[in-house]
Amino acid sequence: MATRDSMIQVTDLKKHYKGGAIKALDGVTVDINKGDVIAVIGPSGSGKSTFLRSLNLLEEPTGGSIIFKGIDITRKKYKNAEGKTVKLNIDELRQKMGMVFQHFNLFPHMTILDNMTLAPMKVKGLSKDEAEKKALDLLDRVGLKDRADAYPIQLSGGQKQRVAIVRALAMEPEVMLFDEPTSALDPEMVGEVLDVMKELAEEGMTMVVVTHEMGFAREVGNRLLFMADGRLLEQGDPKELFDNPQNPRLQDFLSKVL
Amino acid sequence: MDHFIQLENFPKIAPYAELFWQGTLVTVLLALFTVIIGFCLALILALMRMSNIRPFRALGLDSDGHPREQGFLALLSRFNPLSFIATAYVEIIRSTPALVQIFIIYYGVFSIVDLPSFQLFGFIRFDRFFPGVVALGMNSGAYLCEIIRSGIQSIDSGQTEAARSLGLSQGQNLRYIILPQAIKNILPAIANEFVVIIKESAVTYTIGVQDIMSAVNAVRGASFIIVEPLLVATAIYFCLCFPTSKAIAYVERRMSRGDKR
Repeated sequence: MATRDSMIQVTDLKKHYKGGAIKALDGVTVDINKGDVIAVIGPSGSGKSTFLRSLNLLEEPTGGSIIFKGIDITRKKYKNAEGKTVKLNIDELRQKMGMVFQHFNLFPHMTILDNMTLAPMKVKGLSKDEAEKKALDLLDRVGLKDRADAYPIQLSGGQKQRVAIVRALAMEPEVMLFDEPTSALDPEMVGEVLDVMKELAEEGMTMVVVTHEMGFAREVGNRLLFMADGRLLEQGDPKELFDNPQNPRLQDFLSKVL
Repeated sequence: MDHFIQLENFPKIAPYAELFWQGTLVTVLLALFTVIIGFCLALILALMRMSNIRPFRALGLDSDGHPREQGFLALLSRFNPLSFIATAYVEIIRSTPALVQIFIIYYGVFSIVDLPSFQLFGFIRFDRFFPGVVALGMNSGAYLCEIIRSGIQSIDSGQTEAARSLGLSQGQNLRYIILPQAIKNILPAIANEFVVIIKESAVTYTIGVQDIMSAVNAVRGASFIIVEPLLVATAIYFCLCFPTSKAIAYVERRMSRGDKR
């Protein structure tokens, strides 16, 4: 593991509210390496989602650091290679981190194709033709090419989530963040979304997945993080942790969910 | 013997029909211009209220570069002068009578500013009509601001999160994601405001705008008949407002059909 390229280094990450009375994140330290598929599990309110959302600054941490591509993105300014202090461009960083949400968050007033081409065209400056070709290729991969002209309302939950995944992929991110991607789905649709994620993992995409799907965490993830009360209580190989949990909180959690 | 309504009075006010017709036209024009001015003002106010311009932002960071959580400096760093001005404007307008505002605009502001005195369409006195539009526009701007703001804020925050996580800037998010969805929610409310202004504009007769109410007054002055002209005015206002609000309700129902996510 040590030989692999580090992608994101999180050090002592804190998110406090009300002057420290509420600690959503209370000192989380973790290294995310290129190609890692990290599953984050834990009881609700444990800070899993806050941790994930902090990674692309949808939540602003109140302490600690997140080093992404050599830059501490928790600070508003940083020194560039020439030693000049420049303002952090958060939009630029977010392009490189794709995010998939529990409630899909497709844009309801746009067709599936427009959902997918908007950011590549407006942010990356791709031409309409380039963006559409790429979007159709991606849709083809998840078996939804024929729904390109549909509106999100016409799709099932599983289809929406698959679109949301490829919409994020259209920006060619270096890491994908999943915030409980299957929690809002009907049970029969969970599989189709997990299959897409599994495929993505096999292609070597770096992924951080907050999930309640223990099977996925165990089989697909190469690392497992267990969080409770805003702290990272245990991390390691998923199979080892599932079979032989050390921390009593993890033992308790697993006994309830498995 | 006195009756509340005396039918024989209606033929007596018939010669003044032209006045009522002109008054109706003035009222409609007044409402139309007011909504246009009000909407432009409201859009600016709403954007000011939702802006994130904080001149003392830097004071909110500690020596480490992290945002402070509390204390005076944290409070100061969150101070947004644009939002403060817009909020103050909206609250003052909403907490004072429209009549007072119209008087202040007409007797205050436009006693200093000289307006050219010509007549639109040969009967609308511009130096009365224009202050009326400005005063009503400033008034409805405050109300429309809240309509626009709530319309924008009614869009699920997940939309913004998705847009921003794709790398869209705040402005792009507003333009491509939020406003197109918000406008749909806002339009019926703006049309409703049009109906409200038709009714509200009646107070502008006090500064000499020749609207429907001023026609009532003119007839009273000339013929000493009061109730019957008022009934005519009531009928006109009703015929303007009732079909309009029914039409809005219809369009609203049609539009909300495709709304489910």
